Amino acid sequence: MIKVSQLSKKFGDLTVLKQICFEVQQGEIVVIIGPSGTGKSTLLRCLNYLEAPTTGQITIGPAEVDASHASNKHIHQLRKQSSFVFQNYALFANKTALENVAEGLMTVWREPKAQAMATSQAILEKVGLGDKLGQYPAQLSGGQQQRVGIARAMAAKGEVILFDEPTSALDPEWVEEVLAVMQQLAQEKQTMIVVTHEMQFAREIADKVIFMEGGVIVEQGPPEQIFEQPQSERTKAFVSRATKPL
Amino acid sequence: MNDFEVSFDFAYTLELLPTLLKYLGVTMEMALLGFAFALVLAVVIAIIRVFKLPILDPLSQLFISFFRGTPLLVQLFLFYYGLPRLVPFLVNMDAFTAAVIGLSLHFSAYMAESIRAAILGIDRSQMEASLSIGMTKLQAMRRIILPQATRIATPSLMNYFIDMIKSTSLAFSLGVVEMMSATQMEASSSFKFFESFVAVALIYWVVVIIFTRLQYMLETYLNKAYVK
Repeated sequence: MIKVSQLSKKFGDLTVLKQICFEVQQGEIVVIIGPSGTGKSTLLRCLNYLEAPTTGQITIGPAEVDASHASNKHIHQLRKQSSFVFQNYALFANKTALENVAEGLMTVWREPKAQAMATSQAILEKVGLGDKLGQYPAQLSGGQQQRVGIARAMAAKGEVILFDEPTSALDPEWVEEVLAVMQQLAQEKQTMIVVTHEMQFAREIADKVIFMEGGVIVEQGPPEQIFEQPQSERTKAFVSRATKPL
Repeated sequence: MNDFEVSFDFAYTLELLPTLLKYLGVTMEMALLGFAFALVLAVVIAIIRVFKLPILDPLSQLFISFFRGTPLLVQLFLFYYGLPRLVPFLVNMDAFTAAVIGLSLHFSAYMAESIRAAILGIDRSQMEASLSIGMTKLQAMRRIILPQATRIATPSLMNYFIDMIKSTSLAFSLGVVEMMSATQMEASSSFKFFESFVAVALIYWVVVIIFTRLQYMLETYLNKAYVK
Protein backbone atom coordinates (compact mmCIF):
# COMPACT_ATOMS: atom_id res chain seq x y z
CA MET A 1 0.00 0.00 0.00
CA ILE A 2 3.05 2.23 0.23
CA LYS A 3 5.40 1.99 -2.68
CA VAL A 4 8.45 4.14 -3.27
CA SER A 5 10.35 3.64 -6.48
CA GLN A 6 13.48 5.17 -7.94
CA LEU A 7 13.25 8.10 -5.53
CA SER A 8 16.12 10.57 -5.80
CA LYS A 9 16.70 13.94 -4.21
CA LYS A 10 19.31 16.52 -5.04
CA PHE A 11 20.07 19.76 -3.22
CA GLY A 12 21.89 21.64 -5.96
CA ASP A 13 24.80 19.41 -6.93
CA LEU A 14 24.55 17.32 -3.79
CA THR A 15 22.68 14.05 -4.19
CA VAL A 16 21.18 13.08 -0.83
CA LEU A 17 18.94 10.22 -1.97
CA LYS A 18 19.82 7.83 -4.77
CA GLN A 19 17.27 5.54 -6.38
CA ILE A 20 15.43 4.62 -3.20
CA CYS A 21 12.96 1.75 -3.58
CA PHE A 22 10.92 0.04 -0.90
CA GLU A 23 7.44 -1.10 -0.03
CA VAL A 24 5.42 -1.07 3.15
CA GLN A 25 2.36 -3.23 3.74
CA GLN A 26 -0.67 -2.18 5.72
CA GLY A 27 -0.06 -2.54 9.45
CA GLU A 28 3.65 -2.91 8.97
CA ILE A 29 6.19 -1.05 11.09
CA VAL A 30 9.29 -0.03 9.24
CA VAL A 31 12.26 1.45 11.05
CA ILE A 32 14.94 3.32 9.16
CA ILE A 33 18.38 3.40 10.78
CA GLY A 34 21.76 4.66 9.68
CA PRO A 35 24.46 7.23 10.42
CA SER A 36 23.61 10.94 10.68
CA GLY A 37 23.48 12.92 7.46
CA THR A 38 22.57 9.87 5.46
CA GLY A 39 19.27 11.07 4.07
CA LYS A 40 16.92 9.23 6.44
CA SER A 41 15.03 12.35 7.44
CA THR A 42 15.05 13.67 3.90
CA LEU A 43 13.49 10.41 2.71
CA LEU A 44 10.76 10.69 5.33
CA ARG A 45 10.15 14.33 4.44
CA CYS A 46 9.88 13.40 0.76
CA LEU A 47 7.12 10.91 1.59
CA ASN A 48 5.11 13.78 3.06
CA TYR A 49 6.32 16.13 0.33
CA LEU A 50 7.76 18.55 2.86
CA GLU A 51 10.75 18.08 0.61
CA ALA A 52 10.08 17.68 -3.11
CA PRO A 53 11.97 14.69 -4.52
CA THR A 54 13.88 15.34 -7.73
CA THR A 55 12.71 12.15 -9.46
CA GLY A 56 10.80 9.02 -8.59
CA GLN A 57 7.32 7.81 -7.71
CA ILE A 58 5.55 7.67 -4.37
CA THR A 59 2.31 5.79 -3.87
CA ILE A 60 0.48 5.85 -0.56
CA GLY A 61 -2.93 4.20 -0.58
CA PRO A 62 -4.97 5.76 -3.35
CA ALA A 63 -2.60 8.71 -3.85
CA GLU A 64 0.19 8.62 -6.36
CA VAL A 65 2.77 11.26 -7.23
CA ASP A 66 5.47 11.24 -9.86
CA ALA A 67 8.10 13.77 -8.84
CA SER A 68 8.90 14.78 -12.42
CA HIS A 69 5.38 16.10 -13.02
CA ALA A 70 3.76 16.57 -9.64
CA SER A 71 0.76 18.89 -9.54
CA ASN A 72 -0.27 20.75 -6.39
CA LYS A 73 -3.47 18.75 -6.35
CA HIS A 74 -1.63 15.42 -6.38
CA ILE A 75 0.80 16.62 -3.73
CA HIS A 76 -2.10 17.65 -1.52
CA GLN A 77 -3.77 14.24 -2.01
CA LEU A 78 -0.52 12.51 -1.09
CA ARG A 79 -0.04 14.62 2.04
CA LYS A 80 -3.49 13.70 3.27
CA GLN A 81 -2.44 10.05 3.19
CA SER A 82 0.29 10.46 5.78
CA SER A 83 0.97 12.44 8.89
CA PHE A 84 4.21 13.46 10.44
CA VAL A 85 5.71 13.46 13.92
CA PHE A 86 8.54 15.98 14.13
CA GLN A 87 11.75 15.78 16.09
CA ASN A 88 11.09 19.22 17.62
CA TYR A 89 7.33 18.43 18.07
CA ALA A 90 6.29 21.47 15.94
CA LEU A 91 3.00 21.84 17.79
CA PHE A 92 0.85 24.79 16.78
CA ALA A 93 2.04 27.31 19.35
CA ASN A 94 -1.21 29.31 19.28
CA LYS A 95 -3.45 26.30 19.92
CA THR A 96 -4.19 24.21 23.01
CA ALA A 97 -3.37 20.51 23.09
CA LEU A 98 -6.97 19.72 22.17
CA GLU A 99 -7.03 22.27 19.35
CA ASN A 100 -3.73 20.95 18.01
CA VAL A 101 -5.28 17.53 17.55
CA ALA A 102 -8.65 18.82 16.30
CA GLU A 103 -7.22 21.32 13.80
CA GLY A 104 -6.76 18.87 10.94
CA LEU A 105 -10.14 17.25 11.49
CA MET A 106 -11.87 20.61 11.22
CA THR A 107 -9.79 22.33 8.57
CA VAL A 108 -8.79 19.44 6.33
CA TRP A 109 -11.58 16.94 6.88
CA ARG A 110 -14.36 19.47 7.48
CA GLU A 111 -15.70 17.77 10.58
CA PRO A 112 -18.12 19.74 12.75
CA LYS A 113 -16.34 21.28 15.72
CA ALA A 114 -18.11 19.25 18.40
CA GLN A 115 -17.31 15.98 16.66
CA ALA A 116 -13.68 16.93 16.04
CA MET A 117 -13.25 17.97 19.67
CA ALA A 118 -14.78 14.71 20.96
CA THR A 119 -12.53 12.59 18.72
CA SER A 120 -9.49 14.61 19.72
CA GLN A 121 -10.25 14.34 23.39
CA ALA A 122 -10.51 10.56 23.08
CA ILE A 123 -7.13 10.42 21.31
CA LEU A 124 -5.46 12.62 23.93
CA GLU A 125 -6.89 10.43 26.68
CA LYS A 126 -5.42 7.45 24.91
CA VAL A 127 -1.92 8.96 24.97
CA GLY A 128 -2.40 9.78 28.65
CA LEU A 129 -3.03 13.51 28.33
CA GLY A 130 -6.71 13.62 29.22
CA ASP A 131 -5.91 16.16 31.93
CA LYS A 132 -3.94 18.50 29.63
CA LEU A 133 -6.57 19.31 27.00
CA GLY A 134 -6.61 23.05 27.61
CA GLN A 135 -2.86 23.52 28.02
CA TYR A 136 -0.79 25.35 25.43
CA PRO A 137 2.42 23.76 24.10
CA ALA A 138 4.55 26.23 26.08
CA GLN A 139 2.97 24.86 29.25
CA LEU A 140 3.78 21.19 28.54
CA SER A 141 6.96 19.17 29.10
CA GLY A 142 8.89 17.85 26.12
CA GLY A 143 7.46 14.38 26.53
CA GLN A 144 3.93 15.70 26.80
CA GLN A 145 4.43 17.90 23.74
CA GLN A 146 5.64 14.97 21.70
CA ARG A 147 2.68 12.88 22.82
CA VAL A 148 0.40 15.68 21.61
CA GLY A 149 2.41 15.59 18.36
CA ILE A 150 1.69 11.89 18.03
CA ALA A 151 -1.97 12.44 18.91
CA ARG A 152 -2.19 15.07 16.17
CA ALA A 153 -0.72 12.59 13.71
CA MET A 154 -3.13 9.88 14.90
CA ALA A 155 -6.10 12.15 14.31
CA ALA A 156 -5.17 12.63 10.66
CA LYS A 157 -6.98 10.13 8.50
CA GLY A 158 -3.93 9.09 6.54
CA GLU A 159 -2.73 5.53 6.02
CA VAL A 160 0.63 5.95 7.67
CA ILE A 161 2.33 7.94 10.41
CA LEU A 162 5.87 9.08 9.71
CA PHE A 163 8.13 9.56 12.75
CA ASP A 164 11.25 11.68 12.28
CA GLU A 165 13.51 10.94 15.25
CA PRO A 166 10.65 11.50 17.69
CA THR A 167 12.77 11.07 20.83
CA SER A 168 16.04 12.73 19.77
CA ALA A 169 15.19 16.16 21.16
CA LEU A 170 13.81 14.81 24.42
CA ASP A 171 15.44 14.80 27.82
CA PRO A 172 16.16 11.16 28.73
CA GLU A 173 13.44 11.19 31.38
CA TRP A 174 10.74 11.77 28.75
CA VAL A 175 11.88 9.20 26.18
CA GLU A 176 10.13 6.28 27.82
CA GLU A 177 6.62 7.75 27.76
CA VAL A 178 6.89 8.61 24.08
CA LEU A 179 8.17 5.18 23.13
CA ALA A 180 5.34 3.65 25.15
CA VAL A 181 2.77 5.49 23.05
CA MET A 182 4.47 4.29 19.87
CA GLN A 183 4.51 0.76 21.23
CA GLN A 184 0.80 1.01 21.84
CA LEU A 185 0.25 2.14 18.24
CA ALA A 186 2.35 -0.76 17.02
CA GLN A 187 0.16 -3.22 18.88
CA GLU A 188 -2.86 -1.72 17.16
CA LYS A 189 -1.21 -2.39 13.80
CA GLN A 190 -0.93 1.26 12.87
CA THR A 191 1.27 1.49 9.79
CA MET A 192 4.39 3.46 10.74
CA ILE A 193 7.69 4.46 9.24
CA VAL A 194 10.11 5.49 11.97
CA VAL A 195 13.52 7.12 11.71
CA THR A 196 15.26 6.59 15.02
CA HIS A 197 18.54 6.10 16.82
CA GLU A 198 16.87 4.00 19.53
CA MET A 199 18.27 0.64 18.42
CA GLN A 200 16.73 -1.44 21.18
CA PHE A 201 13.35 0.04 20.40
CA ALA A 202 13.83 -0.49 16.66
CA ARG A 203 14.59 -4.11 17.23
CA GLU A 204 11.55 -4.70 19.42
CA ILE A 205 9.00 -2.82 17.40
CA ALA A 206 10.01 -3.22 13.74
CA ASP A 207 8.58 -5.66 11.24
CA LYS A 208 11.20 -4.47 8.82
CA VAL A 209 14.41 -2.49 9.23
CA ILE A 210 15.98 -0.40 6.51
CA PHE A 211 19.65 0.48 6.87
CA MET A 212 20.67 3.58 4.94
CA GLU A 213 24.08 5.07 4.35
CA GLY A 214 25.25 7.74 1.94
CA GLY A 215 21.81 8.28 0.45
CA VAL A 216 21.20 4.66 -0.54
CA ILE A 217 19.45 1.72 1.06
CA VAL A 218 22.29 -0.62 1.90
CA GLU A 219 20.16 -3.39 3.30
CA GLN A 220 16.61 -4.08 4.35
CA GLY A 221 15.05 -7.02 6.13
CA PRO A 222 13.49 -8.25 9.35
CA PRO A 223 15.16 -6.97 12.54
CA GLU A 224 16.70 -10.39 13.28
CA GLN A 225 18.56 -10.21 9.99
CA ILE A 226 19.73 -6.61 10.32
CA PHE A 227 20.76 -6.83 13.95
CA GLU A 228 22.03 -10.42 14.11
CA GLN A 229 23.05 -11.56 10.63
CA PRO A 230 23.60 -8.45 8.53
CA GLN A 231 24.43 -9.33 4.94
CA SER A 232 26.47 -6.23 4.29
CA GLU A 233 29.74 -5.32 5.96
CA ARG A 234 28.57 -1.72 6.26
CA THR A 235 25.41 -2.77 8.08
CA LYS A 236 27.46 -4.97 10.35
CA ALA A 237 29.86 -2.14 11.19
CA PHE A 238 27.06 0.33 11.91
CA VAL A 239 24.97 -2.06 13.96
CA SER A 240 27.87 -3.19 16.11
CA ARG A 241 28.82 0.43 16.77
CA ALA A 242 25.25 1.54 17.46
CA THR A 243 24.29 -1.31 19.76
CA LYS A 244 27.57 -1.58 21.64
CA PRO A 245 26.81 -1.59 25.38
CA LEU A 246 28.37 1.27 27.26
CA MET B 1 6.72 91.44 34.89
CA ASN B 2 3.85 89.02 35.24
CA ASP B 3 2.63 89.48 31.70
CA PHE B 4 3.79 86.03 30.64
CA GLU B 5 2.00 84.22 33.44
CA VAL B 6 -1.29 86.00 33.07
CA SER B 7 -1.16 85.76 29.31
CA PHE B 8 -2.03 82.07 29.44
CA ASP B 9 -5.76 81.72 29.94
CA PHE B 10 -6.07 78.23 31.31
CA ALA B 11 -9.79 78.62 31.85
CA TYR B 12 -10.20 79.18 28.14
CA THR B 13 -8.30 75.94 27.43
CA LEU B 14 -10.68 74.04 29.69
CA GLU B 15 -13.72 75.71 28.19
CA LEU B 16 -12.60 74.82 24.73
CA LEU B 17 -12.23 71.09 25.46
CA PRO B 18 -15.94 70.20 25.12
CA THR B 19 -16.15 72.14 21.82
CA LEU B 20 -13.16 70.30 20.39
CA LEU B 21 -14.31 66.92 21.71
CA LYS B 22 -17.35 67.22 19.43
CA TYR B 23 -14.93 66.76 16.54
CA LEU B 24 -13.07 63.85 18.11
CA GLY B 25 -15.66 61.60 16.44
CA VAL B 26 -14.58 62.68 12.96
CA THR B 27 -10.95 62.26 13.87
CA MET B 28 -11.47 58.77 15.26
CA GLU B 29 -13.71 57.76 12.39
CA MET B 30 -10.95 58.67 9.96
CA ALA B 31 -8.34 56.87 12.01
CA LEU B 32 -10.38 53.70 12.55
CA LEU B 33 -11.59 53.48 8.94
CA GLY B 34 -8.12 54.24 7.67
CA PHE B 35 -6.57 51.65 9.95
CA ALA B 36 -9.11 48.96 9.03
CA PHE B 37 -8.51 49.42 5.29
CA ALA B 38 -4.77 49.70 5.82
CA LEU B 39 -4.70 46.48 7.82
CA VAL B 40 -6.56 44.46 5.18
CA LEU B 41 -4.38 45.83 2.41
CA ALA B 42 -1.21 45.33 4.44
CA VAL B 43 -2.03 41.65 5.12
CA VAL B 44 -2.67 41.06 1.41
CA ILE B 45 0.57 42.79 0.41
CA ALA B 46 2.52 40.93 3.10
CA ILE B 47 1.23 37.56 1.87
CA ILE B 48 2.01 38.48 -1.74
CA ARG B 49 5.54 39.36 -0.69
CA VAL B 50 6.04 36.30 1.51
CA PHE B 51 4.95 33.94 -1.27
CA LYS B 52 6.80 36.09 -3.85
CA LEU B 53 3.86 35.88 -6.24
CA PRO B 54 4.87 36.70 -9.81
CA ILE B 55 3.86 40.17 -11.12
CA LEU B 56 2.10 41.05 -7.85
CA ASP B 57 5.31 40.99 -5.81
CA PRO B 58 7.18 43.59 -7.92
CA LEU B 59 4.00 45.70 -8.00
CA SER B 60 3.81 45.51 -4.21
CA GLN B 61 7.41 46.59 -3.93
CA LEU B 62 6.72 49.59 -6.18
CA PHE B 63 3.66 50.45 -4.09
CA ILE B 64 5.64 50.29 -0.85
CA SER B 65 8.49 52.28 -2.34
CA PHE B 66 6.18 55.10 -3.44
CA PHE B 67 4.12 55.35 -0.27
CA ARG B 68 7.14 55.24 1.98
CA GLY B 69 9.11 57.49 -0.33
CA THR B 70 6.82 60.53 -0.46
CA PRO B 71 5.33 62.67 2.33
CA LEU B 72 1.83 61.84 3.54
CA LEU B 73 0.74 65.44 2.99
CA VAL B 74 1.82 65.25 -0.66
CA GLN B 75 -0.07 61.98 -1.06
CA LEU B 76 -3.21 63.49 0.44
CA PHE B 77 -3.09 66.34 -2.05
CA LEU B 78 -2.42 63.92 -4.90
CA PHE B 79 -5.51 61.92 -3.98
CA TYR B 80 -7.76 64.86 -3.35
CA TYR B 81 -6.90 66.73 -6.51
CA GLY B 82 -5.67 63.94 -8.74
CA LEU B 83 -7.98 60.98 -8.24
CA PRO B 84 -11.19 62.67 -9.42
CA ARG B 85 -9.41 63.56 -12.67
CA LEU B 86 -8.11 60.03 -13.22
CA VAL B 87 -11.17 58.13 -12.07
CA PRO B 88 -14.42 59.75 -13.28
CA PHE B 89 -16.35 57.67 -10.77
CA LEU B 90 -14.66 59.63 -7.96
CA VAL B 91 -15.49 63.04 -9.34
CA ASN B 92 -17.63 63.91 -6.33
CA MET B 93 -15.25 62.46 -3.78
CA ASP B 94 -15.26 64.55 -0.62
CA ALA B 95 -12.21 65.51 1.40
CA PHE B 96 -13.02 62.99 4.12
CA THR B 97 -12.94 60.10 1.64
CA ALA B 98 -9.73 61.35 0.08
CA ALA B 99 -8.14 61.57 3.52
CA VAL B 100 -9.21 58.03 4.44
CA ILE B 101 -7.86 56.66 1.13
CA GLY B 102 -4.60 58.54 1.56
CA LEU B 103 -4.11 57.45 5.16
CA SER B 104 -4.97 53.81 4.33
CA LEU B 105 -2.56 53.53 1.42
CA HIS B 106 0.23 55.39 3.19
CA PHE B 107 0.09 53.34 6.36
CA SER B 108 -0.55 50.04 4.59
CA ALA B 109 2.89 50.35 3.00
CA TYR B 110 4.57 50.53 6.39
CA MET B 111 2.30 47.97 8.02
CA ALA B 112 2.80 45.46 5.20
CA GLU B 113 6.51 45.40 5.97
CA SER B 114 5.87 44.89 9.70
CA ILE B 115 3.47 42.05 8.99
CA ARG B 116 5.83 40.47 6.47
CA ALA B 117 8.63 40.54 9.03
CA ALA B 118 6.32 38.98 11.63
CA ILE B 119 5.29 36.19 9.25
CA LEU B 120 8.91 35.47 8.36
CA GLY B 121 9.70 35.39 12.08
CA ILE B 122 7.40 32.39 12.64
CA ASP B 123 9.38 29.16 12.79
CA ARG B 124 9.28 27.20 9.54
CA SER B 125 8.13 24.12 11.43
CA GLN B 126 4.71 25.72 11.96
CA MET B 127 4.06 25.78 8.22
CA GLU B 128 5.50 22.28 7.79
CA ALA B 129 3.32 20.89 10.57
CA SER B 130 0.27 22.45 8.93
CA LEU B 131 1.12 21.01 5.53
CA SER B 132 1.93 17.61 7.03
CA ILE B 133 -1.63 17.11 8.26
CA GLY B 134 -2.99 18.03 4.84
CA MET B 135 -3.71 21.74 5.19
CA THR B 136 -3.19 23.98 2.18
CA LYS B 137 -0.74 26.88 2.41
CA LEU B 138 -3.59 29.37 2.63
CA GLN B 139 -5.31 27.40 5.40
CA ALA B 140 -2.00 27.28 7.25
CA MET B 141 -1.62 31.04 6.83
CA ARG B 142 -5.10 31.78 8.07
CA ARG B 143 -5.29 29.31 10.95
CA ILE B 144 -1.71 29.03 12.20
CA ILE B 145 0.78 31.55 10.81
CA LEU B 146 -1.21 34.80 10.81
CA PRO B 147 -2.58 34.37 14.35
CA GLN B 148 0.97 33.86 15.59
CA ALA B 149 2.29 36.72 13.46
CA THR B 150 -0.43 38.97 14.90
CA ARG B 151 1.10 38.63 18.33
CA ILE B 152 4.52 39.60 17.05
CA ALA B 153 3.26 42.46 14.89
CA THR B 154 0.90 43.98 17.47
CA PRO B 155 3.31 46.43 19.13
CA SER B 156 4.47 47.87 15.82
CA LEU B 157 0.97 47.92 14.31
CA MET B 158 -0.28 49.80 17.37
CA ASN B 159 2.56 52.25 16.81
CA TYR B 160 1.22 52.87 13.33
CA PHE B 161 -2.32 53.22 14.61
CA ILE B 162 -1.22 55.86 17.09
CA ASP B 163 0.69 57.62 14.35
CA MET B 164 -2.43 57.42 12.19
CA ILE B 165 -4.63 59.06 14.85
CA LYS B 166 -2.25 62.01 14.91
CA SER B 167 -1.80 62.07 11.15
CA THR B 168 -5.53 62.60 10.65
CA SER B 169 -4.76 66.19 11.64
CA LEU B 170 -3.26 66.61 8.16
CA ALA B 171 -6.75 66.12 6.69
CA PHE B 172 -7.32 69.65 7.96
CA SER B 173 -5.35 70.83 4.95
CA LEU B 174 -7.88 69.19 2.60
CA GLY B 175 -10.70 70.99 4.36
CA VAL B 176 -12.01 68.11 6.49
CA VAL B 177 -13.60 69.57 9.58
CA GLU B 178 -11.99 67.47 12.29
CA MET B 179 -10.43 68.30 15.61
CA MET B 180 -7.44 70.15 14.23
CA SER B 181 -9.44 72.41 11.93
CA ALA B 182 -11.95 73.07 14.70
CA THR B 183 -9.05 74.21 16.87
CA GLN B 184 -7.78 76.47 14.13
CA MET B 185 -11.22 78.05 13.71
CA GLU B 186 -11.69 78.61 17.42
CA ALA B 187 -8.22 80.05 17.73
CA SER B 188 -8.75 82.44 14.84
CA SER B 189 -11.88 83.88 16.37
CA SER B 190 -10.63 84.13 19.95
CA PHE B 191 -7.00 84.93 19.10
CA LYS B 192 -6.04 82.56 21.91
CA PHE B 193 -3.84 80.36 19.69
CA PHE B 194 -1.61 78.95 22.38
CA GLU B 195 -4.51 78.05 24.69
CA SER B 196 -6.35 76.41 21.79
CA PHE B 197 -3.48 74.26 20.63
CA VAL B 198 -2.70 73.22 24.20
CA ALA B 199 -6.29 72.02 24.40
CA VAL B 200 -6.10 69.98 21.22
CA ALA B 201 -2.67 68.59 22.16
CA LEU B 202 -4.11 67.38 25.47
CA ILE B 203 -6.95 65.61 23.72
CA TYR B 204 -4.62 63.79 21.29
CA TRP B 205 -2.37 62.85 24.16
CA VAL B 206 -5.14 61.41 26.31
CA VAL B 207 -6.55 59.47 23.37
CA VAL B 208 -3.13 57.96 22.69
CA ILE B 209 -2.72 57.08 26.37
CA ILE B 210 -6.04 55.25 26.29
CA PHE B 211 -5.06 53.28 23.19
CA THR B 212 -1.67 52.47 24.69
CA ARG B 213 -3.51 50.93 27.65
CA LEU B 214 -5.66 48.94 25.24
CA GLN B 215 -2.51 47.81 23.47
CA TYR B 216 -1.08 46.36 26.68
CA MET B 217 -4.34 44.55 27.37
CA LEU B 218 -4.33 43.15 23.84
CA GLU B 219 -0.71 42.04 24.20
CA THR B 220 -1.48 40.25 27.45
CA TYR B 221 -4.40 38.50 25.77
CA LEU B 222 -2.33 37.45 22.76
CA ASN B 223 0.42 36.22 25.08
CA LYS B 224 -1.75 33.81 26.99
CA ALA B 225 -0.62 30.81 24.92
CA TYR B 226 3.00 31.60 25.66
CA VAL B 227 2.94 32.03 29.42
CA LYS B 228 4.54 29.06 31.11
